[in-house]
Formats: sequence, structure tokens, C-alpha cells
Amino acid sequence: MSTPLIIIIVLLIILVLMYNSLVAKKNQVDNIFASVDAQLKKRYDLIPNLVASVSKYMEHEKSILEEITKLRSEANKPNLSEKEKIDLDAKVSSALGSIMVAVENYPELKANENVMHLQRSLNEVEEQIAAARRAYNQAVTDYNNALEMIPTNFMASAMGYKPKDVFVITDEERKNLDVGELFNR
Amino acid sequence: MKSISQLTDFYYNKLYPELKILEEERKKIKKRIIKIGTLYLLFVALISFFLYKSFSLDILAFFLIFALAATKWLYTYLIKDYNIDFKHKIIAPLISHIDKTLNYTPTQHISSAAFNRSRLFATRPDRVSGNDYVKGTIDGIAIEFSDLLAEKKHRDSKGRESWETIFLGLFIVSEFPKHFHGETVVLPDSAQKIFGDLLGGWLQKNNGSRSELVKMDNIEFEKEFVVYSTDQIEARYILTPSMMEKLLAYKKKIQHPIYISFIGGNIYLAIEYNSDMFEASVFHSLLEYKIAMEYIQTLHLAVGIVEELKLNQKLWSKL
Repeated sequence: MSTPLIIIIVLLIILVLMYNSLVAKKNQVDNIFASVDAQLKKRYDLIPNLVASVSKYMEHEKSILEEITKLRSEANKPNLSEKEKIDLDAKVSSALGSIMVAVENYPELKANENVMHLQRSLNEVEEQIAAARRAYNQAVTDYNNALEMIPTNFMASAMGYKPKDVFVITDEERKNLDVGELFNR
Repeated sequence: MKSISQLTDFYYNKLYPELKILEEERKKIKKRIIKIGTLYLLFVALISFFLYKSFSLDILAFFLIFALAATKWLYTYLIKDYNIDFKHKIIAPLISHIDKTLNYTPTQHISSAAFNRSRLFATRPDRVSGNDYVKGTIDGIAIEFSDLLAEKKHRDSKGRESWETIFLGLFIVSEFPKHFHGETVVLPDSAQKIFGDLLGGWLQKNNGSRSELVKMDNIEFEKEFVVYSTDQIEARYILTPSMMEKLLAYKKKIQHPIYISFIGGNIYLAIEYNSDMFEASVFHSLLEYKIAMEYIQTLHLAVGIVEELKLNQKLWSKL
């Protein structure tokens, strides 16, 4: 075999490997997003129940309850992009957080078995979502790295791949409940 | 759970009468070992000299290997009664002082089935032995641990048998409070340490005997450990940011390589001490602080995982 031919074959193999690794990374992102989505849906399914259980007692928090119901119906719309879903998730997380904080103000609610059960379910789903988000962020980081690093970046731009967004883990989520703040309201 | 200082108090106060008797015994045995050992050495040297003069080097080598094995056997034989006494009078009360529900059997060990189930070591052992088996429940969490030695048999071209050590140390199995279906394995990160990030990372990714590599989002954890799992999301569900911190803290306390896996609702921990723990000290006094601490600390670390890793916080206990 002549030398040019060997060089061409080697180059071809490298191109194929690069192409495959990019596709694999993109599919990994899509795959994990599907799991994130499933977990988010689980949480959205809990919302109507939660709103129904707490609305009787919560007089001052009507606006949050209305907001979260609105967010849920938005999230149930078909054909949402990944970015929209990620943004909605952040809003829902913070709204749910404030409802949970508000529950602490109502002794009847805290003792209500139904609410307690919902809180537990939400906690469990939140943990699952947190894990799925972290997995998604890692997959996106791998994907985005490939899009920016030499030599895969040339290939990626030729394939029309665009960088993707990661979930922002907000400070509010990291923070634990501040009991002092509850009394100041 | 009792703290280390409480256990140390117990060791030096409550166990003192027993320790005193054992200490006398130890001194006698030490003398006997030195006496018999010297005679034995002279005997071996004499025979070696004779073999060397009249036969080939091969036979001499064969004899020396035999003599070495015999030395080990002789030593074990000499300290046997003393060691059994020590375990019954010191280790057993110490364990029941930590928690009454803990059951201690000096001669048993974690089953080889449990060792294989853990998937911590890629090589399947042909022989699993051990001792000092402890089983019980701490805060409602089932836990068992023991000294364990797992070995693989090799045969060379001449048909001679040899045993390679896969693992020697403390092996702990405990219930894990979260539900999961896949298999997640956390190993000491040797590749990245030896070969650096780039090549080491590549080697980890292409480890044929393991499932998918999971990159964790805690830099220090990534440096110390490498994670493989059948499920990217589940691995993170188990290894939450706080669990990673706890495992790092636990590793720092232990100061030995540690292998962890999460399989079938259990957490498996293998701590590679590379020695048999909880054996009676012969050449150092049992009253020495350093020797006492070795027994107490090892026990405390093993039983302590339930508290240390917060395994007792069942799924909903946050509320």
C-alpha cells in the first residue's frame, strides 16, 4: 500500500471516531435529560395535591399558590425546549421552597398527615431531581468541552452542534431553612 | 455510640484485672518464643549447612521454604491459647461495651458470597479466610464485619502452587437507607495519581472490568476516588454532596486504602490494613497506650460507619 493511501485511511478513521464520540456525547445529554424530565414530571404531579391540601389554611400565601399552579400548567405544555424546561424548574423549585417554609407557620398543616406525606414524597423527588440534575450537568459539560476543544470543535461546528445550558443550582437550594427568618416575618 | 475516650476508660479500668493476668501470660510466652525460636533457628541453620554441603542448592531452597512455613505454624501454635484468651477476655467485652446487641464470634468471618457480591475486587478469590466476626444492629441498621483474607491460587509451569493476596483487612457490610437497583463502586484513585489527569482519566474510562465511569462534582472526592456505576443518575443519588464529604472525612480518619460499593441495598466497605486486626500483641505490652488504641480505634471505626455516614437516617427522617 502506498503511503498517501495509508494516511488517508488513518485520517478517515480519526474522523469517524471524532464523529462517533460527538454523537455519543450528544445522546448521553439527551438520555439523561429524559430522566431529569421524568423526575420533574413526578414533582409536577405532586403539585395539585399539595396546593389542594394547603390552600384551605394558607391565607397570606395565595399568590405563591397561584403562581405555582400557573408554572405547572406552563410546564405541561407540549414542545417545550430544554432551556425552557430548565428555567421553569428553577422557578418551581424556589416557589415550592417558599411554600414549604410557609407550612412551618401553620401548626395544623405541620401536623396534617396528608401534608406530611406530601412533604416526604417531595423530599424524595427533590433528591432524585438533584441527582439527575448533577448527572445532566456533567454530561453537558463533557459535551460542551468537546464542542470547544481541538480537534473536535471543527467537527462539531461542521455538524451544527450548539453548546447547551446546565442547571444552575441556586444558593436558595443549598441553604438550609433559616429558623430565625421565620419569626421575622 | 460510646466515644473513643469512653472505650479507653473501659479498657484501662474495667478490663484492668484481666489485662494484668494476660500481661503476665504474655511475658511468659514472649520468653518461651525467644527460647524455642533460638533453638529452632539453630536447628534450621544446622540442617541447611548439612544440605548445602552434601546436596544441591535446589534442595536447600526447598527446605528453607518449608522451614519458613513451619516457623509461621510454630508461632501460631505457641500463641494460640493466649490469643484465644485475649479475644474472649478483652475484645469480646470491648465489643459488647460498644453495643449490647453486637454478637462476636472470634473464629468466623464474612462469607465469601458476601465478598463476591460486593464486586470490589475484579479478581475472584479461590480461598477466603478470616476471623473476628461481629454482627448486630446499630440504630436499627444491620451491620457485620470481620477480618478477611481473600486469595487467588496460581500454578506455575512446574505445577507448584502459590497464593496471591487479593485483599487483607477489615471487611464491613451494612444496610444502606436508600432504595437503588444498580451497582455503584467507589475505588481508591490509583490511575489518576500515578499517570496524571489526562492519561489516568483515559485509563479509568477504558477499564474493561468495570461499568461506566462516573465523574463526580466534588474535586477532592474525584482526586481520592474513582466511581463506576451501571447508572449515572443513581450513582449521584447515592453519592450526594454530603455523602461525598462524609466518605472523605471517613477516609481521612482511616488512613488506609478504602474500597466502597453500593449493591443490592447494602453498602460494602473494604479497608486494606494489610494485616490481621484484633490479634493479641506478643512483643509489646497490652497496657501500652499505642497497642490499646489500635484495638479500640479499629473497632470504633468499623462500628462507627453507621453514625459517620448517617446510615441511620432513613429515607424520610429529615422531617
